[in-house]
Amino acid sequence: MMLARVAENLYWMARNLERAENTARLINSTTYVLLDLPHGATFGWKNLAEIAGLDDLFAKTYPEANEESIMRFLIEDEANPSSIFACVRYARENTRTLREVLPAEMWERINSLYLYVRQNAQAACKSRRERYIILNEIIQQRHAIVGLFSGTMPHDDAYHLIKLGRNIERADMTTRILDLHSAISFPDDSVVRESLVERIWMSTLESLSAYQTYRRLVSMHVRNNDGVRFLLQDMRFPRSVSHCLSEMEACFRLMPKSQQLQQLTALLRIKIAQHNTANLDAVALHEYIDVLQMQLGEIHDALLQNYFHAWQDGVLPSGQAQGEIEFAQQ
Amino acid sequence: MEIAKDEYASHTAYDELLDSGLKPRPAAQPLFDYLNSLNDGELAKRRQAVDATIMAMGITFTVYSEAGNIDRVWPFDPVPRVMGRKEWESIQAGLKQRLRALNLFINDLYNEQRIIKDGVFPAEVLEDSANYRPQCVGITPRFGVWAHICGTDLVRDKDGTVYVLEDNLRVPSGVSYMLENRQIMKRIFPEVVRTTNSLPVDDYPTQLYQMLASLSPREGEQPVIAVLTPGIYNSAYFEHSYLAQQMGAYLVEGSDMVVGADDIVYMKTITGLQRVDVIYRRIDDAFLDPEVFNPDSVLGTPGLMRAWRKGNVGIANAPGAGVADDKVVYTFVPQIIKYYLDEEPILANVPSYLCMIEEQRDYVLANLDKLVVKPANESGGYGMLIGPRATPEEREQFAELIRKDPRNYMAQPTLEISTAPTLVDGELAPRHLDLRPFVLQSDQLYATTGGLTRVAMRKGSLVVNSSQGGGSKDTWIVEDAA
Repeated sequence: MMLARVAENLYWMARNLERAENTARLINSTTYVLLDLPHGATFGWKNLAEIAGLDDLFAKTYPEANEESIMRFLIEDEANPSSIFACVRYARENTRTLREVLPAEMWERINSLYLYVRQNAQAACKSRRERYIILNEIIQQRHAIVGLFSGTMPHDDAYHLIKLGRNIERADMTTRILDLHSAISFPDDSVVRESLVERIWMSTLESLSAYQTYRRLVSMHVRNNDGVRFLLQDMRFPRSVSHCLSEMEACFRLMPKSQQLQQLTALLRIKIAQHNTANLDAVALHEYIDVLQMQLGEIHDALLQNYFHAWQDGVLPSGQAQGEIEFAQQ
Repeated sequence: MEIAKDEYASHTAYDELLDSGLKPRPAAQPLFDYLNSLNDGELAKRRQAVDATIMAMGITFTVYSEAGNIDRVWPFDPVPRVMGRKEWESIQAGLKQRLRALNLFINDLYNEQRIIKDGVFPAEVLEDSANYRPQCVGITPRFGVWAHICGTDLVRDKDGTVYVLEDNLRVPSGVSYMLENRQIMKRIFPEVVRTTNSLPVDDYPTQLYQMLASLSPREGEQPVIAVLTPGIYNSAYFEHSYLAQQMGAYLVEGSDMVVGADDIVYMKTITGLQRVDVIYRRIDDAFLDPEVFNPDSVLGTPGLMRAWRKGNVGIANAPGAGVADDKVVYTFVPQIIKYYLDEEPILANVPSYLCMIEEQRDYVLANLDKLVVKPANESGGYGMLIGPRATPEEREQFAELIRKDPRNYMAQPTLEISTAPTLVDGELAPRHLDLRPFVLQSDQLYATTGGLTRVAMRKGSLVVNSSQGGGSKDTWIVEDAA
């Protein structure tokens, strides 16, 4: 039994923490990619805000898209609700309202993460070297938090809601990191191009801590959209979209009145499994990713309606129902 | 560790830990042995660790403003306040006696009013009481208990006598800091907590849970208990959430609950509506139920009073319990104890003068420069006159207030409240303090082991309120030396 307001806060806390980690990963991945770019290839900073779905908000505050402005926007800008600092701060505020349902150490861990980000966000915006170290530390601290969740929380509805928030956000961000490739315009020389695409894929996988796994499970090479298939469809890798969806299905199965949500999630997972990724070119991939993000949005909306506004369906007992309750009391 | 000899030289108050020769009192001896074994660098290091721990544990007051939320760290002094077990047990008995009598008194006021008919308590005091709720007349809550949780403020005067300063019967706060202070000490000074044999304090959440559970209208079933908070912007939110967490209760806001046409309280859950059996409310009467009290309140839940009157939900403290939390009623407590229990009061009241009684009013007006004058229904030190520290103009203004509304004022001699050594700039300097134990009553009585010691961190200051620069110390009740 869980309060609807508490449930909603748990879900958002988990999404915000996951988003902070993933934004850190997205930035680290970009930095890798940049280092690999040869002359003749250019990277559009503006596209990074676009991938995160924040291009309009970015354009409102910043006259120019360059490395510094984008980093400030994604790391420390409080006005950007998806910046790392804002996400961690929201998560901390959420946690403040959740202390009674979370393990006691959880607040301390999330509070420490918040204090760390607050202290270091500025430095992370300025230098690439420090940025890498700081963002990695954020990712590490977030791992400790997830470890605390899985190691100490009873597997009740609170736990499942946290897991749902984490996996839906993770699935969404994996699709966005996949989209990073659309931000790069490649040189025309097809030989340079092919090896470059492969190197960028390696960086992308690395940013998701997936490169080693990929090499072990799939291949030494990343060719012919193998990376796309891996990140979308491989059930074994915990950040693939299909894996996230199956984790969500498992949560829904253990949650009350979740029939419709189970179906919705399973359907999307099956559709992804059946989608042929081998022949997708950059444009088609970009469009496909849009569709996936929309479908994840539908699951999110259904979840909101089903759990956080559920009490509205409960008609207050009167007449007959009142008799039943009185009977139950005797 | 050095004692600030200069400050102690001009010191006239009773010190909790040191005798007049600046030797540790017997109960404090093991603590001083330990402190003396630490070199200055070590203590400074621990002091820093204390601050870091408090920050990490997030034991903060939150000050909310438009510019964002500022978390102020709970000021904590690492030198505990120590008291021998024998003295404490006598205080504990006094606290229980007091609350038992006060609950009989409240129940009498809302029912037969025997104490008024017998001429022990004046009817006009009740008529003018700001915390008397006519909506509660005729109700007898379970066990006849209205004030289930009481925070009693105690101080010690120059001669060593412990006095009750006030009984907080509405929504007393601070118990979470008492519990967290011990946690901090255990983390930072594990060796000393062990060697000095201070008695544990951590059974309070269990006791609170049991007390609340005993109020459930559905006997024999696992009760659904909710802590009702005004929300995250309340300065005591940390405590509300902490207690809910410790008890495994639901932390709810008013809008999380509804009362049905069946007069039953429900909360809004992910699967629909769920019955609530007991509410530990941390909001004032006035905001509890807009159907009955302040109609503009958005903090409460409409219909709570209906449900409570029908006996469908337990509410702690009961609405209307605050009638005994009044500085004028306070002066009658010794008579109240005698009247209901036929016992002598164990704990002393501070001698008080009631401005509603002519001779006493005349005395107060003639001696304003020696007295502390308090309004009846304010808490937290608001609207007070501290005579010896006020200007003649301030005293004259206050005299006018007293003449206009004598029922609303009472006066007490200024006590020289006790001190304890407190770490200030690397030295142990005397700082004034009080003690707030917490007492629980339903079918049984319980009092905390010690309580929350609040300390005025500024030199010479008597104000221990956290909003005004007060801090706190861990409170140790230790076995007396054989």
